[in-house]
Amino acid sequence: MLYIFDGTVYGFLTAFLEAFHDENALLCSREKQLVLGYTPVFVTTDEARAKKAENRLKSFDGDCLRDLQTLLRCGQADSEQVAFAYFRALANAKRPIRNDLSKSEVFQATEYIKKVGLEIHRFHGFIRFMETASGALYAPFAPDNDICELLLPHFRARLPHYPFVLHDTVRKKAVVYDGEHTFSAPLDKADILLSANETAWQSLWRKYYDAVNIPARERLKQMRGYMPVRYWKFMPEKNKYSP
Amino acid sequence: MFDFLLRKVYNTSMITQEKLQILTESAKYDVSCSSSGSGRKNQGGIGNGYIAGCCHSFTPDGRCVSLLKILLSNDCIYDCKYCPNRVTADVPRATATVDEICELTIDFYKRNYIEGLFLSSAVHKNPNYTMERLVEVIKKLRTEYNFHGYIHLKGIPRADPSLNRLGALYADRMSYNIELPSEQSLKLLAPQKDKRSLLLPMKNLTQERSAFLEEKKKGLVKGRFLPAGQTTQMIVGASPEADGQILRLTQALYRNMQLKRVYYSSYLPVVEDSLLPSKAVGQLREHRLYQADWLLRFYGFTVEEIVNESENLSMELDPKCAWALRNMHLFPMEINDAPLEGLLRVPGIGARNAHKIIQARRFTTLSFEDLIKMKIALKRAKHFITCNGKFYGAKNETAVKGLLISAENGESAIQTDIFSLLQNEKTVSDKKLLFSDSATALTVRTGEL
Repeated sequence: MLYIFDGTVYGFLTAFLEAFHDENALLCSREKQLVLGYTPVFVTTDEARAKKAENRLKSFDGDCLRDLQTLLRCGQADSEQVAFAYFRALANAKRPIRNDLSKSEVFQATEYIKKVGLEIHRFHGFIRFMETASGALYAPFAPDNDICELLLPHFRARLPHYPFVLHDTVRKKAVVYDGEHTFSAPLDKADILLSANETAWQSLWRKYYDAVNIPARERLKQMRGYMPVRYWKFMPEKNKYSP
Repeated sequence: MFDFLLRKVYNTSMITQEKLQILTESAKYDVSCSSSGSGRKNQGGIGNGYIAGCCHSFTPDGRCVSLLKILLSNDCIYDCKYCPNRVTADVPRATATVDEICELTIDFYKRNYIEGLFLSSAVHKNPNYTMERLVEVIKKLRTEYNFHGYIHLKGIPRADPSLNRLGALYADRMSYNIELPSEQSLKLLAPQKDKRSLLLPMKNLTQERSAFLEEKKKGLVKGRFLPAGQTTQMIVGASPEADGQILRLTQALYRNMQLKRVYYSSYLPVVEDSLLPSKAVGQLREHRLYQADWLLRFYGFTVEEIVNESENLSMELDPKCAWALRNMHLFPMEINDAPLEGLLRVPGIGARNAHKIIQARRFTTLSFEDLIKMKIALKRAKHFITCNGKFYGAKNETAVKGLLISAENGESAIQTDIFSLLQNEKTVSDKKLLFSDSATALTVRTGEL
């Protein structure tokens, strides 16, 4: 059967309990597409039951909730299913299994967790802020995984005096730091008024990027490996984007 | 609430496009762009350090852009033959003002274009004048612009030691480029520089750094003194030194000067001179030197094991494979009980995979299929390991060598999977690290160049 839950941690844990003994179980969150050929079951989140499961799983592996939170942010189509297989293996083993990498459930889960971590690290570098007329910074980006909230602490720590917005254009949401508080909100399209010097700084950056390259040593494949083309859309050195 | 955003402390002194271009193009042959090793905290201004380093962009030459790499001036009094900025060259000259560099840094940084500043300069007027101005820039950035991001400062040879010390108080990393791997080559190609003028300031800073850390431990001093240490760079192929000689110098620098990195830059003929070769050195030689460098720093090798003093590294095979073929009596190694130091010597198994194997084998005896499931590259490794007693490699050494060479050719010459290395950070740091200091260990895992 196909267990459909609301995408939250407690939703997952409720579905996990219901599907545990079902050998042909598939788990998936509401936002993702239905798998054909399976009977769908819509799981209603039961917080009390989920909390019990949470405590039990934590007693096997104190860090496992962090794994779950990360896996639920993973944008891969089958990430909930991978999380399910990993947690079922954990429940059966009753001890931490994260390093038991020859087990395919564990390996797959760690691969997905790494994918999320990798994208966070990449966007620490690839986020491009533009300065708005009010002095606040605005950065649209299109990540594979749901990582907005996970990027925020990094930028708040280094730019404490600059209000900023990180806008996930895929999930149509944004996280905001207003100089004091942080919050997230749905955001489809932002209206932006750029500061007077913004375009001049962007073209200086483009000039720098072109000048620092050594054309005699062209290695485009390597560049694209490190900085995949799908991320270029909002980077001024690669693409002229204006909101 | 946002009033402070409207305040402007400085008049805008935005650098011009032309000046930026001249000063960047003159700086771009410096290899180092790493921003790792400094955990500097934000103290109420803008910026902080990122201990593992962070790449912000990649240029079509495959290099990362982490720092704003720029010269304060390209107007040089020296006449180093290989250098495009030498005094006798007919190139456009420019000199930036202190505020131009500071503003550029801040405005690029806040847009998240860069991780910090890599400031260098041609020797403008005289060494002391140049060093004073460099120090003035980074002092102003730190104290007036309140910038806490990464700063890499290039030291000027023959400048007064007190200026170097002052620079070290504000910078995260400093470097003096050795330029050429021997005294004779320096004399020939960079007549105004000599070994002493390059190595002495390096040595002084190393000693001052350990003295500073000692005093800091006792609580006598506060602040930082080059938290990310020192690096250097040399040009390979402009002069006749063999790889064996270059790597012996490298090993001595790591051991005696405690450098964090030695960079190699394969010679590109940007300048025509009868003393210089007219052909570029292939990237492969540079790549092999880096592979050997990694073996020295992270795999427990000594240069004596890797290559003889008068010889070059093999172009056909990477240095670890070449070493393994010379030492076949040590192999095959049983994957289920070889110690970490042993696994690290198996061709094809890197630091990350060695740790993965050690973790996974605690749960079960690993078979060849298990290693495949764990996505461990076995193309090379299979000739040097047994899994639970079973051997899957080629029968004799000649066959092994042939297969290794074809494995090498099947891959692009340079591939370092830098990001996936980083992701294993948590699991790797749980283990006892091979590496003496955590910053270096992080660098190896990020593979930052």
